[in-house]
Amino acid sequence: MTGAPEVVIAGLGFSPFSGDRVDASVRDMVVEAVLAALSDGGIDIADVQHGLASYESDHFNRQMTLGAILHDSIAMCPKPTVRIEGGGATGALAMRTAWAYVKSGLCDSIIVYGGEQNGKSVTSATAQQLFALSSDADWEMMVGGTYTGYYATMIREHMRLYGTTEAQFAHIAVKNRRNARSNPIAQKPMDITVADVMASPPVAEPYKLLDCSLLSDGAAAIILSTQEWARSHSSRWASRPPVHFVATGCGTDFMRLGDRPRTYPGLAHFRGKREASQQAYMMAGIKEPLKEIDVAELYDSYSGAELQAYEELGFCEYGQGGPAAESGMFDLDGQLPVNTSGGLLGRGAPVGATGIAQAGEIALQLWNEAGGRQVPGARRGLTDTHAGTGTICVTNIFERRD
Amino acid sequence: MAEQPNTTEYGETGNCVASKIKTLKAPDPWKRPPAEDPWDAFREVELISLDWEQHYRHSLGKTSRFFLALEQGQLLATHCTRCGFTWMPPRPVCARCLSITSWVELSGRGRLASYTVQYYAPAFVRLDAPFVLATVELDGADTLFMHLLRGYGALQDVQVGMPVHVTYAAAAVQHPLHLMWFEPFVEETGWADVEAGERWQAGV
Repeated sequence: MTGAPEVVIAGLGFSPFSGDRVDASVRDMVVEAVLAALSDGGIDIADVQHGLASYESDHFNRQMTLGAILHDSIAMCPKPTVRIEGGGATGALAMRTAWAYVKSGLCDSIIVYGGEQNGKSVTSATAQQLFALSSDADWEMMVGGTYTGYYATMIREHMRLYGTTEAQFAHIAVKNRRNARSNPIAQKPMDITVADVMASPPVAEPYKLLDCSLLSDGAAAIILSTQEWARSHSSRWASRPPVHFVATGCGTDFMRLGDRPRTYPGLAHFRGKREASQQAYMMAGIKEPLKEIDVAELYDSYSGAELQAYEELGFCEYGQGGPAAESGMFDLDGQLPVNTSGGLLGRGAPVGATGIAQAGEIALQLWNEAGGRQVPGARRGLTDTHAGTGTICVTNIFERRD
Repeated sequence: MAEQPNTTEYGETGNCVASKIKTLKAPDPWKRPPAEDPWDAFREVELISLDWEQHYRHSLGKTSRFFLALEQGQLLATHCTRCGFTWMPPRPVCARCLSITSWVELSGRGRLASYTVQYYAPAFVRLDAPFVLATVELDGADTLFMHLLRGYGALQDVQVGMPVHVTYAAAAVQHPLHLMWFEPFVEETGWADVEAGERWQAGV
């Protein structure tokens, strides 16, 4: 895209992620995140040209066309907006779409605001039911299928093919909750051991309670713009190293695991994730991701899904995700720290905010503002986000350019 | 000043709003002192009970014949005569080459490709937990099919690769997909545990 502008992060903000924000509706939380993002960037909302609403579910949020309400709640009318939905990948797809809006010249600045009420305003059984509606509702939900069940089916096949063990993915459940301890927005920072994970109650074998990500209330907002716009409209811009949004990729697969080609991806692999990352690596000129990426936020909806993501993203060979997790190479002090924020397991996962929050964590790392979880000298970071069981996958890559 | 309802931490329910659960003064999630909390004047919260129910007349569309055949104890898939692929669950259009497919009958025999023991059921589907959610490779199909495995005896006896067979419901069911499920298949006798199927109360 010769002549297209560079896209930068001009500001970001979060509401706290919580299992039960009794004092806030989804619009309240999005307003909190937007105010935080404007304050972070030293930006006046009057200067922002475009909006983008990121949320998944009318069922959870109890409001259709929520995007219009979010937009009017943050003083953006009568400027343009659009709503993006892509299941679990909603927030990352929102970032990718906003990138394209700026890259194409449609606008010089865009505020991506996302949130969800997935916390305790409904029972856990109702939450699982509502999420199951985002699987094949005619064929799989009706026989009792839920996402924990589908992911369990996938990791069992990974265990059968490669000898992956429950202790190996339990290591990820421990790591991410430990990382969450130094993230002020995190919902569930915990100091636990592999034995604690192994002893937690079964949910869908081989997944146990502590292998599962959180049901969360929360919101996140990011302002993307051209460098020129940031220079003239963000009072914070000059005091921070510039962080560019340099590459994006998107891949897909069949909704039903059983409809996917049998040899690859089969039941054990996320083909769409490989597709998305290959596109993004090509755009960013990355050939050896393990060496060329300094920090990554991966979609740990279940502990084993992070292990499977290591392989699809090319951080290790197929079948090596388990030993790699156990080796500590993805720990905070490892070769490539993964989910420094705590991930979906520790920070939380309000769906529409998740992909935005992942990008926010990477930006904080590249700005050297990640506090106790800072990866020293991080210059390039990646987010990996997916819907369903890898039905829609998005890889976004960010670089510090100073 | 008008009479105030009780608004203690877990306050008394007011007597004029039937749906009210409680009111409370919520803490600042960032744990700032009240003087530094920008939302201090907005921390008084009312929680109400909200019930919405919908009823749908739901069409099973172009896959209806699959469900009608289950009533006759037949398992139908669709076959693409152009690319040779057999879809199960059936698809009216081949998702590989976009040709309109044809109905074909399967034997109902297959093997367990993967499974999970799920310890809870989603809220709208009435199932006794734990149950085995099975992914099955059916003879004659190029896809895998997910359904319940019943009549397996002990959970330890459930093994990837084990032969299974479709069992059809004898009693009335609420949802047509519950006209079938899987059971282990034993060569000599056919059904491993015929009674298990009858024991299952599949209601939605």
